[in-house]
Amino acid sequence: MTAADVILSSAIWLAFVILGIAFLMTVWRVIKGPTLADRVVALDMLTGIVIGFIALIAIRTGFTLYIDIAISLGLVGFLATVAFARFILSDGDGGKAPKPDIARALLTPPPGPRRKQAGRRSAGSRPAVRRKAGK
Amino acid sequence: MMDILVAVLTACLILAGAGFALVAAIGLNRLPDIYTRMHAASKAGTVGSGLLLLAVGLHAGDLSIFARAIAGFFFFVLTAPISAHLLAMAAHKVGYRLSSHSTRDELKDYES
Amino acid sequence: MITFILSLVFAVIWVAVTGSATPHNLIFGFALSTLSLWIVRGEMNARGYWRRLGRILSLLILFFRELALSAWKVAVLVTSPRMDLKPGIFAFPLTVDRDFEITLLANLITLTPGTLSVDVSEDRRMLFVHAIDCSDIEATRRDIAQGFERKIMEAFR
Repeated sequence: MTAADVILSSAIWLAFVILGIAFLMTVWRVIKGPTLADRVVALDMLTGIVIGFIALIAIRTGFTLYIDIAISLGLVGFLATVAFARFILSDGDGGKAPKPDIARALLTPPPGPRRKQAGRRSAGSRPAVRRKAGK
Repeated sequence: MMDILVAVLTACLILAGAGFALVAAIGLNRLPDIYTRMHAASKAGTVGSGLLLLAVGLHAGDLSIFARAIAGFFFFVLTAPISAHLLAMAAHKVGYRLSSHSTRDELKDYES
Repeated sequence: MITFILSLVFAVIWVAVTGSATPHNLIFGFALSTLSLWIVRGEMNARGYWRRLGRILSLLILFFRELALSAWKVAVLVTSPRMDLKPGIFAFPLTVDRDFEITLLANLITLTPGTLSVDVSEDRRMLFVHAIDCSDIEATRRDIAQGFERKIMEAFR
């Protein structure tokens, strides 16, 4: 193991840790993110971070074929973001109302009897949303 | 000697790329509204993954692989602003609010 | 003569991209680049081709400098303990009017420090830009008009 290898492998490990932290923070934004567009931005960012991971693995293993995988993942991520943007444009309620906070919903268990009521209410409000979208 | 130089350069690129990705993630969490978050994601995020790709090309030390890495880098740099712009336009058209810090919104004045 | 040099350069690039440095491949790349240059010969003889190429290159260099600067600026802003933001959307009156140029300008604006293009008006006269720091809009407008827009006009007109 030469000096160059030592420098490179320690840098790669450090970068793995940094990217991991960045990945978790971005995932937090996806979970938290009050509106749909926030989540889409975070998902776009997630693709970028995964491309970074792939690049690191390419350096570590020496398989440069991973570059092609990274490029195609970038293409898929770009198309997904474009599709999401179209989806936001045609979203029923206009995305104005913040979506329920998934983090809070996961952390606090819903009380039993209320659940049914909530389900009925959302079913009732759906036609109103549709009508708005059709206009 | 030469391989140490290449290794140091690659390590610098790797760490800079990872650092920019981390900064983009911090920005995504700290900034107040979707438009400002997009600034962080589209600039720092793109530069982060682009630098990491360049590091792969440099490390391989082969012209054809380097050319492919450069091509990937250009691809990311050219597509990131398009997706950011499209998202911002969609968000504004649908009516997402700017954060309360905002000083002005001339697009809204124009449309009304 | 210029065409010959260009096809030689393109042949070398072809060899680099395809990744096999055999004489056959070099000759094939040379033939291919000569063919493609022959196809675009009408465009090539347009006035000031080389000057234009130089300006496109200088636009590219400006772009990468601005990209590095903008990533750095976002990094400084985000990691500073007290974020002092004055975001907002301002209108930028366009001088360029072709779709291609507007697209290029919007892309460049998105990758410059603290600005993000949001929308273009129906009549293509206004570009709406979201800026992270709206304290001095006139200066930002001047920067865009005299930096990118002027360079785009020089390169493609």
